[in-house]
Amino acid sequence: MGSMNKFINNRPHKKIDYSNYYFILPAFLFYIIFVLYPLADTFYTSFTQWSGIGEKKWVGLENYYNNLNDVKIISSIKHSFILIIFYSFFPIIIGLAIAGIMVRVKVKGIAFYRAILFLPQILSMIVVGIAWRWIYAPKGPLNTGLDFLGLDNWSRAWLGSFDFALPFVGLIGTWVMFGFAMILFIAGVQKIPTELYDAAKVDGAGPFAEFFNVTLPALKGEIIVALVFTVTLALRNFDLIYITTGGGPGTSTMIPSMFIYKKAFQMNQVGSASSLGIMLTLLIFTLISLILITLREKK
Amino acid sequence: MKKLIIFITLILTVFTFNIKAETLRILAEAGDEATLTIAAAQFEESNPGVTIEASYLGWDDFMATIKLKLADNNPPDLAHGNQGFTVDGTLIQNGLVIPLDEYADQYGWKNLFAEGSLAEFSWSDDGSTWGSGSLYGISPVVEDVIVYYNKDKLKSLGLSVPSNFAEFENALSVSNNAGELPIILGAADGWPIIHVWGLIEGAFVEPEQVRSWIFNAKGTEFKTSSRMKAAKKLEEMATAGYFGSDSLGIGYDDANAMFINGDGVFNLTGTWMTAQLNEGMGDNVGAFAMPRNSGGVAGGGSFALPWHISSKSSNPDLAAKFLAHLMSNDFVDDLMEIGRVPAQAPTINPTSKLQAEVISASNTLVGANAKTFYTDWSTPGMYDTVTQELQKLIGGAASADNFMDAMAAESIK
Repeated sequence: MGSMNKFINNRPHKKIDYSNYYFILPAFLFYIIFVLYPLADTFYTSFTQWSGIGEKKWVGLENYYNNLNDVKIISSIKHSFILIIFYSFFPIIIGLAIAGIMVRVKVKGIAFYRAILFLPQILSMIVVGIAWRWIYAPKGPLNTGLDFLGLDNWSRAWLGSFDFALPFVGLIGTWVMFGFAMILFIAGVQKIPTELYDAAKVDGAGPFAEFFNVTLPALKGEIIVALVFTVTLALRNFDLIYITTGGGPGTSTMIPSMFIYKKAFQMNQVGSASSLGIMLTLLIFTLISLILITLREKK
Repeated sequence: MKKLIIFITLILTVFTFNIKAETLRILAEAGDEATLTIAAAQFEESNPGVTIEASYLGWDDFMATIKLKLADNNPPDLAHGNQGFTVDGTLIQNGLVIPLDEYADQYGWKNLFAEGSLAEFSWSDDGSTWGSGSLYGISPVVEDVIVYYNKDKLKSLGLSVPSNFAEFENALSVSNNAGELPIILGAADGWPIIHVWGLIEGAFVEPEQVRSWIFNAKGTEFKTSSRMKAAKKLEEMATAGYFGSDSLGIGYDDANAMFINGDGVFNLTGTWMTAQLNEGMGDNVGAFAMPRNSGGVAGGGSFALPWHISSKSSNPDLAAKFLAHLMSNDFVDDLMEIGRVPAQAPTINPTSKLQAEVISASNTLVGANAKTFYTDWSTPGMYDTVTQELQKLIGGAASADNFMDAMAAESIK
C-alpha cells in the first residue's frame, strides 16, 4: 500500500491514460462473449425450467433444491472426490518420488525417459480413453497378462465391474496426470541451490531426510500449482468417463459433468443442467480457494 | 461485342438456373446414408433442377443436437426425429415440425398400413398426448428386435429353432451346460440391454399393454404381475450366466464382432444388423421372432426414425414429394437391396437367406400386431433410468424388485 501511495503522490495531477486499455479490448471482448456472457446466461438459466428450445420458465431455487435432494447426484459428487485421489494425490506422490530420485541418481538418457513419461499428458483424452478401454477389456492385455501369470480368477471385465470400474477409471487419470506433476517438480528441483544438498549431506542426512527437509519444502509452490490443476481436472472431467464407461455400470462411475450432459442433451432439462453446472463451478472454486488459503506462502 | 454476348449469356444462364434450381436440405441419422444416397440420386434424376443436400450425424451427436438444429433459423427442410416425448414431443410442442396428414392423404400413405399402425407417429397438435391425433412423421423402413442365432452351434447342440419361450429357455440352458455362451450381449453401452428387456417383457406382457404404457407412462400402471414375471425372468437369466460374466465390459459393436467370430449362440438385436451379420456369417446365421410365453410372438421394434418436415421449410411440398419417393412402391426393392426391412411388402426376392428369415420374422410381428417399441420412448428420463437399472439387474447389483421400483418411479416423474 505504501508504495502505491508513493506512486500516486509522485503524479498528483496526471489523469489515468485509458489508451492502454484499448490494447486488451480485443481479448477482453472475446472473454466477455465466450466466458462471461455464457456464465451469466447459465446462471440465469439455472433458475428456470427449459427444454433447450422455446420459453424459459422461472422456477426460482427449485433446480438447486432438487439437485441437493437427488441421491444419484450426491453419489456422483462422492465419486468425484474419490477421483481426486487418483487424478491429484497419486500423480503428485509419484511425481515427487521421481523428482526426489532424480536429485540423487544420475540416469543416462534422462530426457528420453522424461519425454516418454510426459507423453500421456499431450494425448487427447479420447485417444487415452479408447486405448485404456481396450487394455481393460475382458480379453484385453491386462486380463491376458493376469491369465499368463496364473491369476485367472483375478481377471474380469474391469470397466463393467460395479466395484472396480471407478478406481480403474481413476488409474487412467493417474497415468495421464503424473507426467505433468513430474515435469513440474523436476523443473522445481533444478532451481534448488546445490549448496542446500551439500549442507544436508554434511549434516549426515540420508535420502529421506534430504527429501523431506530440502526437496519437499522447496517444491511447495509447484505442489500448489499441481494441486490446483489436477483437482480442477478431477472435478470437471467429462471425456474420460464418457468414453470409457459412460457413467456405468449402473451409476457406479457417474460424475456431475455426466449428469450435466445427460440432463441438457438427453432429458430436456437444460435449466436443471445449468444449476448443476453452477454448483460444480462453486464446488471447484471453494476447493481451490481452500487449497490456496491453506498452503500459500506466509510472509 | 463478343464480350457482351458472353455477358448476356452468363446473365441468362444464372437467371434460368435461379428459376429452376431448388435445393432440398436433409439432416439424417447416419444409418440412413446408404438409403438416402440412392434415393437422392433417383429423385434428382426424375426432378431436374432439384439438388439434394444431405448431411448425417452419428446417433449420439444426432440425439444431442437434433432439436437445436430444427430450432435454428435456417433448419433443414427434412429431418429425422425420434419417437417419444424427448425429441418428437418437444419438436411438436414448439411448433418446429408440421403435421403430414394432407400429404399422407395426397400420397396415400395411410392406406399402406393397417389401422393404428402409425400410432407411434401420431400426436395431439399441442404435443402433449401421443399415440393418436395428427400424423407428424413417416418412415418407409421398419426395424424390429428379433433373435439372431448361430446355425452351426444350434445344430451341434442338437437344438432346433424354438417355437415357444420355454423352448428358448431350454436352448439357453443346454448351450450354457455345453460351455457355449448362450447370449452375446454388449451391455457396456447400456442401450443394447433395452432390446433384450423388450423381448423378455414382450414374452410375458401383452404387446398391446406395453404400447399403452409407452404412450402414456404416467397414466398406466408399470408394476403389473406379468411385467414382474418378466423382470424376474431376466434376473434369473443373468444369474444363470446366460449373458456370460463379462457382458458389462463389452460394447455393442464388439459384441456383434464377437458373435460373427463365433461367440454366443443367440444375439438379441435389431434388424438393422442384418446386412452386417450376413456379410460376416453368410449362411451360418439365422433369425426368428421371439416366441411368447403363452404362444405367438413379440418383439421390440417399430418403424425406423420418423421423417419430419420443418415448419420453417421454404418448400414443404418438395420435401413431401421426396418423402413420397421414399414411401413409394418403386423404392421398396431398393431398400431390400441395401439390406433394410421395408415397411411395405417387397416384390423382389430377398438378397440373402438371412434377409428372407428376417423379413419373415418381421412379417410375423406385424401380423400379430406384436411390436413393443422401445422402453426408453416412454419419458425423457427413461433412457437413463432403464439403461442404468438394467445394467444393475444384469450385473447382480440390483434385484428384479429394485428394478421394478426404479422403473415405476421414473414412469410417473
